[in-house]
Amino acid sequence: MKKLRRVKRCILTALMSLSAIPIVLQLSSVQAQQVNPLESDPRAALAGGVLFRSQCATCHGGDAKGITGIDAPDLTLIWSAGETTDEGVFQTIRNGVPGSIMPSHGLTDPETWMLVSYLRSVAVTGATKFSGDSLRGSALFLTNCGRCHRVKSGGGSLGPDLSQITTRRSSAALINSVRDPSAVIARRYHPVSVVFAAGGAAAASNQRRVQGALKSEDAFSIQMMDTNQQLRAFMKADLIEIVREPNSLMPAFSRAALSNAELEDIFTFLQSQL
Amino acid sequence: MTILQRGLPKLVRRRSAAIAALLLLPVVACAQETSAPDYEDILQGLADPERWLTYSGDYSGQRHSPLTQINVDNISSLRPQWTFQTGTTTRGRGFETTPLVDAGVLYVTGSNNYAWAIDARSGRTFWQYRRNLPRDLTYGASAPVNRGFGMLGNSLFMVTLDAHLLSFDRRSGDILWDIELADYRQGYAATLAPLVLDGKVIVGISGGEYATRGFIDAYDPASGDRLWRFHTIPGPGEPGSETWPDDPAILARGGGGTWMNGSYDPDLNLIYWGVGNPNPDYYGDLRPGDNLYSNSIVALDADSGELRWHYQFTPHDLNDWDSNQIPILADIEWQGSLRRVVMLANRNGFFYVMDRVTGELLQGTPFTATTWAREIGTDGRPIILNDGREGCVPDPWGSTNFMPPSYYPDLGLFYVTARETCATYVSEQPIIVPGQASFGGVVFIDSEKGSGALRALDVQTGELRWEFTYPSPTFGGVLTTVAGLVFAGDHEGNFMAFDASSGENLWHYQTGSRIWGAAAMTYMLDGRQFVLIPAGTTLTAFALPEP
Repeated sequence: MKKLRRVKRCILTALMSLSAIPIVLQLSSVQAQQVNPLESDPRAALAGGVLFRSQCATCHGGDAKGITGIDAPDLTLIWSAGETTDEGVFQTIRNGVPGSIMPSHGLTDPETWMLVSYLRSVAVTGATKFSGDSLRGSALFLTNCGRCHRVKSGGGSLGPDLSQITTRRSSAALINSVRDPSAVIARRYHPVSVVFAAGGAAAASNQRRVQGALKSEDAFSIQMMDTNQQLRAFMKADLIEIVREPNSLMPAFSRAALSNAELEDIFTFLQSQL
Repeated sequence: MTILQRGLPKLVRRRSAAIAALLLLPVVACAQETSAPDYEDILQGLADPERWLTYSGDYSGQRHSPLTQINVDNISSLRPQWTFQTGTTTRGRGFETTPLVDAGVLYVTGSNNYAWAIDARSGRTFWQYRRNLPRDLTYGASAPVNRGFGMLGNSLFMVTLDAHLLSFDRRSGDILWDIELADYRQGYAATLAPLVLDGKVIVGISGGEYATRGFIDAYDPASGDRLWRFHTIPGPGEPGSETWPDDPAILARGGGGTWMNGSYDPDLNLIYWGVGNPNPDYYGDLRPGDNLYSNSIVALDADSGELRWHYQFTPHDLNDWDSNQIPILADIEWQGSLRRVVMLANRNGFFYVMDRVTGELLQGTPFTATTWAREIGTDGRPIILNDGREGCVPDPWGSTNFMPPSYYPDLGLFYVTARETCATYVSEQPIIVPGQASFGGVVFIDSEKGSGALRALDVQTGELRWEFTYPSPTFGGVLTTVAGLVFAGDHEGNFMAFDASSGENLWHYQTGSRIWGAAAMTYMLDGRQFVLIPAGTTLTAFALPEP
């Protein structure tokens, strides 16, 4: 506990000393900065974390991954599309998002840049540079993944779009999700089966079962994409059973099915498509 | 004499006057049309079927309507009649108002301090008001909502996100007076619906996440002059200050917001009001002690603002479990004798029944699966098992929140929206800066473990009589009608009706947006019963098909 307090004090000291430093910086930022002037200072992300926890975490979560119930976005993913800039994030923090509960923040320029530094530090990024055979990866993707996953404009929709996935996951995380896809299932891809009576007859022999990925649900209805990639909706009152399945719709690929080298090829192909 | 009984002679007088007006001259009918509601009218509660004059319908907070046209047998025919689009959004929050209605006109407040007078038949607008809000709002920017008007005579009263209280001319929407409740730059804001009493407008304040000090105020309806102020955090040396460190600076920023409506007992002349969290929210080391009157209900003399009694639900709160829920007043049989009680389902997961004359705790029972505590000790204090640092307890939005519950006297059932959530709290010493939030830590919420439910609690025992579950934690409120119906809303956007006795779902309508912080209201007009619910940016009016 004492150690924790010392760490906190240390962080506070870092924050305060940083607040004091950049008076010059503030003067020079009359015109909005295009780049984060604290980018190379490792203390900035640390101090930004303190600010984040006091000013942002209630809505965006202690882990910055957002809270869906109040539409607060996952801030660890904001950079991965490649279109987000430090300057853009700075302005969003400063001005808020009109029409939402994201307020403007009257923080100083350095404090706001510290928050930007912190968000950079928790960004989910795939730093790996893959060096497999992209052409072979393209063929392997088509055979093994393309029925359900999209890359750019080609492929299926039952699983997540993989066009940007190499910017969002490390190599190890990507391999894990292929070897054990049920370990973590993304929201809106949870497997579900609904059972209903075909032709109105409730006899067990006339029951039909539709399996798919759960997209949305309320007390009365359920929305899913079935395994034929059709959007389907059912009223719960018409269903005999709703089965929430533990295993992902994606099959687990063993090393025998796809070797690590072959996965490297696939990831190289995905990276080449960025 | 109960609150409802007091109103009856006046209702008889009103009906006689209405009949006389119909029989006599048109000019008399005209005078009847323009008679604006006074205190005696508000005191009648919902006895006049064409009026809804105060946030909960009456002073008791029961939100229980005597209307019977829509009932268990015909509710399946309930259909939307009109919608009103506000055009102002608060993504992440809700359209949280309860409209008032009088003489065929609805008075509605919206997000971002918009307000309207609307034709209650058609949804068409008479006037619109929009406040020019400062760009540097503090708490008001993160909760830019409003819960409704108060009404007296031809005046309407509305609080603002920059912590002002406004009086409107209800016919034109013109501002009659505008006074500052507190300096918004420090973190203050206001969102509740003012409670109008005899010669007083009662309001509270938001901002407990900032270095602020909560209060409940009474204002003169005609002039806007302040009549009294009750500070929810005592000053140095005042009663209750012994539950804080001996430091005036800490007391001056102790939090204790009063951001949701209270209830009123005209016979006892007492106001019952919930008080919010101490500041910093999650970090208690700066404020050892129980931190009165945070997380309490206070009973105040309506004429003086003096404290008569209090009960603290969550001593030394570390979880942001404000006690700003609607206190429901009822006169019930309790262990063989008639007791005047106040009931409240709290963010901490307990349902409480108290004697509202003395403040004696009669019952406190958990209504969710909270692991924070499972019982109240004989000393009236919760026996805390887990403060949220080790394993999950309800999230900071709580086991329920400010969305109104409802009480059905004939069934003895209390209907509440329950939230089942799982959150772990991590404290961190905050830097206290005026105008900046100081939560004092972070919360990790396990979103996979959230769900919601409409629950019917037996007020005699606190036991669950029935429930209807929702897929996610919900902020929708509840209305009951004496026709055996419960109206409720959920986070998926459904507006629903249930059999009040059995819990059977009888009807539902998808509004297209979360029902958040709002509960339905209902009124008669042209012989038809309307039920209104706000959701997203839309107010929808339902009725049975015209015969």
